[in-house]
Amino acid sequence: MSRSLGTRMTRLIVSVCIVALTVPTFLIGCDGDRDTDGEAVRIGAVLSLTGSLAGLGEPARRAIEVEVERINDEGGVNGRPVEVLFEDDASDEARSVAAASRLIDQEGVVAIIGGSGTGQSMAMRQEIEPGEVPQVALAGGSVVTDEFSPWVFQTPWPNRVVVPFTLEHLQAEGIERLAIIAESGGYGKDGSDVTKALVDDFGIEIIAEEQFNRGDTDMTPQLTKIRAEAPDAVLMWAAGAEAATILKNNAAIGGASPMRFFGAPGNARLEFVEGAGEAAEGFVFAAGHILVPETYGVGTEAYEVATGFIDRYTERWGEGPDIFAGHAYDAIHIIVEALRRLPAEFTPADVRDEIEATSGFVSVGGTFTFSPTDHNGMTAEDLTMYIIEDGAWKPLEEVR
Amino acid sequence: MGGVELLQFALAGLKNGAIYALVALGFTLVYAATGAINFAQGEFYMLGGMLSVWAYAGLGLPLPVAGLVGVALTAVVGGVFEFLAVRPRKDGDLLAIIIITVGGSMVLSSAARHLFGPLEKALPAFSGTGTVSIFGAVLEIQSLWILGLTTLAVLALWYLYNRTSLGRAMRACAVNRDAARLVGIDPRKIVTVSFVLAAALGALAGLAVTPLTQTAFDVGPSVGIKGFAAAILGGLGNPIAAVAGGIVLGMLESLSIAFISSTYKDAIALVVLLGVLFWRPQGIFGASRREKV
Repeated sequence: MSRSLGTRMTRLIVSVCIVALTVPTFLIGCDGDRDTDGEAVRIGAVLSLTGSLAGLGEPARRAIEVEVERINDEGGVNGRPVEVLFEDDASDEARSVAAASRLIDQEGVVAIIGGSGTGQSMAMRQEIEPGEVPQVALAGGSVVTDEFSPWVFQTPWPNRVVVPFTLEHLQAEGIERLAIIAESGGYGKDGSDVTKALVDDFGIEIIAEEQFNRGDTDMTPQLTKIRAEAPDAVLMWAAGAEAATILKNNAAIGGASPMRFFGAPGNARLEFVEGAGEAAEGFVFAAGHILVPETYGVGTEAYEVATGFIDRYTERWGEGPDIFAGHAYDAIHIIVEALRRLPAEFTPADVRDEIEATSGFVSVGGTFTFSPTDHNGMTAEDLTMYIIEDGAWKPLEEVR
Repeated sequence: MGGVELLQFALAGLKNGAIYALVALGFTLVYAATGAINFAQGEFYMLGGMLSVWAYAGLGLPLPVAGLVGVALTAVVGGVFEFLAVRPRKDGDLLAIIIITVGGSMVLSSAARHLFGPLEKALPAFSGTGTVSIFGAVLEIQSLWILGLTTLAVLALWYLYNRTSLGRAMRACAVNRDAARLVGIDPRKIVTVSFVLAAALGALAGLAVTPLTQTAFDVGPSVGIKGFAAAILGGLGNPIAAVAGGIVLGMLESLSIAFISSTYKDAIALVVLLGVLFWRPQGIFGASRREKV
């Protein structure tokens, strides 16, 4: 008897543990500052805080927390504090839709930041459009603003901006025969599709194209196949941990003459540089100025904005912000700037109109100017080529 | 395609196959003891890497000690998991146990995320980042470690199964639980031992691979699925078949990339798996099971 009771208790405890740990912590509220008067302005943030895109979502959350705190310390927006409601979509598109629906219908948010991934950002649209709430996506896929919606804005440099910038550089280096290795979904697919559509303009030929899946542990077969075609260089579309594996595999089979590799903003992650180690030496990729703030131009407004953010973020979290934190900085400030321009009474649709009216806003990712046909506003001016040397990224210009 | 490239594809297949084999061995051990599939097996692979990184980078232990700590801790987690979550289900209902392991895998990966954060972690190679050349094709020295550790694990398992009384008890239990109980074997103990061993094997795979791929809290499920497929392909319940299944699966993937397309490599492996199951439901190397009435 006592034994079966004991067993039952154990089972109960285990079930409770399972429920407690697997049910995501919904709505980790980021309280508005008490000093400001009036009802808080609520902004939703649907981020991938767990799952395969957690590396993108977590820095975004940290950036938003730091910035909302500062905004509220400085008196909030028109006397009202800002409150950001975070929802974790667990890198799952269905959950990002549910989260957006909840934020719009139950929490009455005036705008939504997110998602972290291209797939998640696109999926949320089915709630954003009928709900008539503006969305500022943190994903870099071109489709986010190519498949235009009046309600959707995007802060990262989309691949349609990154790819020509990268290809121009490849052309200048005399690369004619290019191979692509790309992740089979989302970011990788978008990147390789855009690349294939544009290479002709730069006199570059794609001679091999290989794919891999998230979670693959070895890309030697793909690289062996690419190597057999003897390309001038390989362009890699991989934002996750697999990027480091690819470079290490390349170094292993290449021996004294590994293939030259180029990448994309998704590679601007310290974990990638650390994980790839020596294999990353000489790796070249395009990303925003935030990686090395001096590339904004010392003393410029952008430099001051970025270094201020870097200092606040570093002080709070003990490490510097990455580009994903920067995209979130852009998103929260674009929304807050729009709110500042609005009267006391407004609807989410008014917020959308004001976001679209953003012009010449100097931020971390670049200078944002939206228009009724361009909801991203980034240009090649906002990008820099970086090279990895001695285990750290440096502006390519400086190194050469 | 030249001979050197072909050899390169084969070596890559062998390396991946060895990883799948270690994970598949874990599936097979638990299956032999309980008749159920342990879907938390992939998480043991994840924990092996994560806990070793924690012991190495967090505690500052030397790499070999950190690796041992990682594998040992994961084995303990496997035992505790069995004791707390699987054992209370006394009737041994297979479906219930399978669901419990699915839940357990979520708990383990969530716990790892909360403890170690969402980002990937690196571990240095066991003995340098160099390569060896085999008739022109190259293999990382770390891959030799993977192959060596897999071989060692298989030999140790063979010894355990055939030369020790615990192993004989495990085999007896796999053949007939009730009969084993009649001759004085406690099947519950065998199930716990199986989980501990399965966790240790998964952890060993995770530890050996981390220097090549890094690790993160979410690497478990995809490797778990591959290991499961390898175990099914070879034939569940038989360690040698699990290893063979792993190698065959690794080779299939590698050769699909070589001759067909990397886009469909997983689909091709899956189609072959289904084909094999239609032809031999017990797996390529599994003994056919006859129901005696």
